[in-house]
Order: sequence, then C-alpha cells, then structure tokens
Amino acid sequence: MSESAEQKWGIAHVYASFNNTLITITDQTGAETIVKSSGGSVVKQNRDEASPYAAMQMAETVAEQVKAAGLSGLHVRVRGPGGNGNKSPGPGAQATIRALARAGIEIGRIEDVTPVPHDGTRAPKNKRV
Amino acid sequence: MQHVTIPQDRIGVLIGEGGETMREIESRAEVRLDIDSESGSVAVETVGDPVKGLTAPDIVRAIGRGFKPQTALTLLDGDLRMFDLINLDAQTRNKNDLRRQKGRLIGENGRTRELMEELTGAHVVIYGSTLGIIGEAEEVDVVRQAVSMILDGAPHGTVYSFLERKHNELTGGPDLGNPR
Repeated sequence: MSESAEQKWGIAHVYASFNNTLITITDQTGAETIVKSSGGSVVKQNRDEASPYAAMQMAETVAEQVKAAGLSGLHVRVRGPGGNGNKSPGPGAQATIRALARAGIEIGRIEDVTPVPHDGTRAPKNKRV
Repeated sequence: MQHVTIPQDRIGVLIGEGGETMREIESRAEVRLDIDSESGSVAVETVGDPVKGLTAPDIVRAIGRGFKPQTALTLLDGDLRMFDLINLDAQTRNKNDLRRQKGRLIGENGRTRELMEELTGAHVVIYGSTLGIIGEAEEVDVVRQAVSMILDGAPHGTVYSFLERKHNELTGGPDLGNPR
C-alpha cells in the first residue's frame, strides 16, 4: 500500500508500565491529541490496568475513534517507565500494537522511546522479593 | 533495528544446523538476523510486517536464555503469548544462595520445574542465573507468583497447592465470579 497524499497518518504514543498502560493518539506533530485512553477506563480492578486484555480493549475503542478522525495509519512510539526504573515496556505494549493492527489500522514505524539516563541519578536498591 | 546479546554456547542453537533455525525465525517473523558469532551480539532488523517483527528480539532472547527454538517460536502463535525473564542474581544474596535457590526452583529431579510447567501450561527454563517463562499472559503470571513464593522461602508443598489451585482456575473450574 503506497502512501498517497490524501492518507493522513498519526502517532500512537503507548506508555506501558507494569502498573498501567496509557495510549495517546496524536497527529503527526504530536501537538494535537485525537484520542487518549488508559487502563482504568476499561477494567475495574487496579491490578488489571496493565494487563494485555485491558490494552486490547482500549486499542479497539481507540481504533474506532481514530478511523472516525480520518487517519488511515499510525506510527507507534512505545515507551516503558525508563529512567532509573524498568527499561522494557510492560505487557500492554505488544497487545496494543497487535490489537490496533487487527482493527484495520495500518502500522508504520514502531519506535522505542523509553527514556534512558546518560548516567543520571542513582538506581534504587534491590528489592527483596 | 535492535540488538540482543546471547551467550556464546547458545549461538549454535540460534543458527541451527546449516542455518536452519535462523532462517525459520527470519521467514516467520519477517526479520533479518545479523549474528556476530565472535561476540554473541545479534542485530534484529525488521524487513516485513512491523507487527510480526515485534516478537523477534524476544525469540532471540528466549533462545539465548536456554529455550528450545521450537518453544521460542511459539511466541508467534498467539497474540497474548509472552516471554518473561526473572533475574535470579538480583534476588539472591550470593553465589551459594543462588545455587541453593536454583536447586529449590528446579526441585528434586526437576520435579518443581516440571510441575510449574504441567500445572500452568507455560514453558519454564532455568539457565545460568535467569529463569525464563514462555506462555499465555495469565500462565506467566502464575509461574511468576510461584517463583517468588519459592524465593521467599515458602515450603514446596505450599507452592504445589497454590499451583494446583491456579491450575483449576486456568482450566476453567467452577467460576463463581469476582467478589463484590
């Protein structure tokens, strides 16, 4: 599928931590938010907010609104907590991208934008399990 | 493009006989693998569908952490299959403690590890100082809880009965709904 002039693209910012997943869809500049959603909008229990199921449901509702806004494809920027914390995106990230793709939205570039410290502050001490 | 580093002795497994395994990963996940057999660094580059290519680094990492290629490739089978890695080094005090905890996780003749696999349906591999899990999201979650119980010093019997209970929940025992 070639990119014609009428096709509008947006950016899906997906922040997936181990406690929640946030999806924000913006236009290509990133300044104009089109839709946003988070785990709490689809599940009751706090601990389920980060679950892949919640992410899938969120992605489905978001996808509908994205289509309504006239966007045909999305570039994806995934992000984990980063910084001192966990560098890898949580369980919601993959599920979100897959659900978006399945809902008929074309996925362009997938980029990992987890903030990485250039040696910033000291990392927290290890947790005893 | 993403880089994954795997141990020297798993490179052969990743490549496979005559490059067989490497080619299978490349064709099924639509990626290109650039393996540096000197340093063990693997560059994963997506060439086709970016959604399929998403799991490729996890597949390579899973093989690097002791999984069979056939098991690692099941990550492509479902949307909710995931790979999880628990770093035992960070959870144990020293080398001796690591040895002891690994022994507890594996169990006598591998009984504990096998039970974790059988009762949840996930795949569990202990290799070096990591414990890897491949399975559906909720299976992985159960194994994670069981592992943290064992590391916490829970007796094996308690963990077995926990797994037994979760096994009933996972395989759809009587569902009485969530408590209000």
